[in-house]
Amino acid sequence: MAKIAYYPGCALNERSSHLDRSARDATLRLGFELDELDTWTCCGAVPPVSEERVMNLIAPSRILKDVRDSGRDTLITICDFCYNTLKRTNYSIKSDEITRKRVNAFLADDTPERDYLEKDDSLWVDYEGEVKVIHLMEYLRDELGYDKITENLKRSLRGLKIAPYYGCVMLRPQNEIQLDDPENPAIIEDFITALDAQPVKYPYRTECCGSYLSVSSPDASTRLCYRILTSARKNGADAIVVSCPLCFYNLDSRQKAISEAYSDFKPVPIFYFTQLLSVALGVKFGRQGFEKHNVDVTPVLDKIGSSTGKEDEV
Amino acid sequence: MSEKMGLAPPKSPPIRLTREIVNAGFKQRVDELSGQHSDACYQCGNCSSGCPLAQEMDILPSRVMRLVQLGQSDDIFNSETIWICASCFQCTVRCPKGIDIQAVMDAVRQIAMDEGIDHFGPDQISPELAAEVPQPGLVGVYRKLAT
Repeated sequence: MAKIAYYPGCALNERSSHLDRSARDATLRLGFELDELDTWTCCGAVPPVSEERVMNLIAPSRILKDVRDSGRDTLITICDFCYNTLKRTNYSIKSDEITRKRVNAFLADDTPERDYLEKDDSLWVDYEGEVKVIHLMEYLRDELGYDKITENLKRSLRGLKIAPYYGCVMLRPQNEIQLDDPENPAIIEDFITALDAQPVKYPYRTECCGSYLSVSSPDASTRLCYRILTSARKNGADAIVVSCPLCFYNLDSRQKAISEAYSDFKPVPIFYFTQLLSVALGVKFGRQGFEKHNVDVTPVLDKIGSSTGKEDEV
Repeated sequence: MSEKMGLAPPKSPPIRLTREIVNAGFKQRVDELSGQHSDACYQCGNCSSGCPLAQEMDILPSRVMRLVQLGQSDDIFNSETIWICASCFQCTVRCPKGIDIQAVMDAVRQIAMDEGIDHFGPDQISPELAAEVPQPGLVGVYRKLAT
């Protein structure tokens, strides 16, 4: 079975472990394995605010260099923040000579001092952005092919109307990310179609959910989430699908505050794309971590047909 | 966050421009940090009309751009806008002049923080929230809004 280097990131390692587990379950059933890096650190969540803050580039660069040094050229991430940070760091190392030199100077300097690692006497080779950072959904679309998913479906999601939610950092800034059109993307819609469900078109799919403002200005985030959720609901969505742990948190947990503030609000269940994928591929509902959801997902699960194949632990 | 909901006030007190303030180097510093050319902005307002957080702001992103051009750092530092911006890159994607407006916002935030203005400290988060927000939110907020 093909093994691909995988960077989970801190959210998937702990608070969003259901995203991690459903991704691992689903990819095994699709014939490849997410091979978690032996050592990794937090990537820093956001790229540095300016090129003067070189230190913020060091953590993601070290992760990328470790992947290259292990002889691999592709790194899969799922969290949109990790994806954005790693990919943009790689982009600036690749395209900007000064950044490349600065980062490598720091990396070369700090390696011997990390005494918890074995002493490495091999020749130093500058990291020049050789690793390709890809999102799991990008891998499914470009490397595996969405038709491979359709071939392996074990449960039917037919008739389910699902609204894709892209959020901000998965697509933007476009010149560095180049995953899809930043204003009119189709990658999640095509994914939903591949699962035999029906994608819902609605205007707020690429609008920000408030991101980290849910910590500093929660009310602002609540209002943004209300707009997104009601728009999806008005256009007939049974559920919303996301890939980012923070989008999930905002859209899912904010619904409590939204219900208190807006009397007309009806809850909308939120799913990670990997949860729908692994459910469609026949993995048990019990392995999806639905108990971590704030909004009840049973109305959606009731609409999903029973598995045609044998359900197994993975 | 501003007390009032709804659109930002259309009128602000007049700005008194002096050669000293305009030439004090604020714009140059912003351009240097962001790698952008803020003079390219011709005030079309596309950033403000697309900004999902415009309703929460006291001055709109396009006005921040104008104030940067005129070196009015105090007006920017005294506003809530730079701390409400969630760095979602909508403005960056839509700017017809190709200015990375998000980078300009980041630069302004960094200058404010270098001058000792922090917006959000570790004591301002409730323990319940800290225990449940996914880590990108926690790391992101302190990287963007505090030194």
